[in-house]
Amino acid sequence: MRNLLNFLARYNALFLFILLEGIALYIVVTRNEYHNSRVIKGMRGITVLADQRITNTRNYLRLRYINTGLALENAELRNKVSALSSHQSLVFFSVSDTGYHQQYEYTSATLVNNTVSRQKNFFTIDKGKKQGVDAGMGVTGQNGVAGIIVGSSDNFSVAMSLLNLDFRLSSRIKSNGYFGSLTWDGRDYRYAMLNEIPQHVSIVIGDTIESTGYSAVFPEGIMVGVISDFERSGSDFYRIKVALATNFRQLSHVSVIRNLKKEEQEQLEKRFR
Amino acid sequence: MINSVFRYGIIFIILILLQVLLLGNINFGGFINPYVYVMFIMLLPVEMPEWIILIISFFTGLVMDFFSGTTGMNTGATVAAGFVRPYILRIISPRDGYEPGASPSMLVYGFRWFLLYSLLVVSVHHFILFFLEVFRFTDFFRTLLRIILSTAFTVSFILLIEYYRRGTISRQK
Repeated sequence: MRNLLNFLARYNALFLFILLEGIALYIVVTRNEYHNSRVIKGMRGITVLADQRITNTRNYLRLRYINTGLALENAELRNKVSALSSHQSLVFFSVSDTGYHQQYEYTSATLVNNTVSRQKNFFTIDKGKKQGVDAGMGVTGQNGVAGIIVGSSDNFSVAMSLLNLDFRLSSRIKSNGYFGSLTWDGRDYRYAMLNEIPQHVSIVIGDTIESTGYSAVFPEGIMVGVISDFERSGSDFYRIKVALATNFRQLSHVSVIRNLKKEEQEQLEKRFR
Repeated sequence: MINSVFRYGIIFIILILLQVLLLGNINFGGFINPYVYVMFIMLLPVEMPEWIILIISFFTGLVMDFFSGTTGMNTGATVAAGFVRPYILRIISPRDGYEPGASPSMLVYGFRWFLLYSLLVVSVHHFILFFLEVFRFTDFFRTLLRIILSTAFTVSFILLIEYYRRGTISRQK
């Protein structure tokens, strides 16, 4: 204590200076609009910087929840788009069809299991019969076709991945409308093969491949991939290599598509087979 | 003792009136503002304790702030000037040391010493004052130019007053 007092006594001028200068600065800053605003501005600059860092980090940690929310919203929006477009066609053609209604329904789901390295790949999603998901429905990833549901329990469903030797998808070249059958050759998870396109059709690398809607599983016009390579084999058909739009190694949020008129279409078609 | 307090009181009042009524109205293009009242801090006796000087500086600045309508800027600048004054006196002390009881004046220590002394004290005072006024470091050199020009003006006014004081003091002797 005595040392402290000695210390204070020895440097009394310095402490007095700091005190008086502090009072003067305090008066300057608090009594002048201009100085006050500048100090506040400076302080705010610092706190804003810190706040931004904190918010960025917090947002990053919350990405999972944000993703889920966005996926739900997407499904809802697709429902609306589908409903609206069916309205439009009704207005457009003015057909007096009392049975018109939305054809496709979407719901979002998350992958709980996935394989890409086998010859017959399947993935599991976290929605099942209780949520209205059943065998025969299509599954799309964020960018394009992902697979078809082959079986479901109460809360889970297993889908046959596009990366499965048994998978067949009717798809067409967007630019000219020629359609063929898309299969996977079991080699690379990034590519699939499109067959049955006759050789007189002119195709270009980079052409878009989309679904046709013939199978009543996917609506028409869903992105499948782009042509990355093709060769003229000995037969009448091209062998077209398609770079898939869906990255199956990153697949996590998917949409399940239910075709409300599928049964009707299939029953009708069965009569003529 | 009482006599010298009275004398400093008169000097104080004269300098404040001079500053407020005359020099406070000089403002050449926003660049040159002489602040002569800081001379009062310069004239305090050499051996006066530092803390008394600081308190006197504080109240001098406060009075100036009160009269010129600024708040705190003159106080901050004058306290800073009062704080550095002992150090400046130590640095530029004459060969024979200071006379006891005397105030730093041109009559005793000569013109060159007094010019250097007032230049140093006034530049410290003006530096703090002008930067407190603009309160930013953008346009740093513009502010510096204002400081230099105003310092030159203030110092010339102080020298004029000091010449006048020397005349009256030597006439009294």
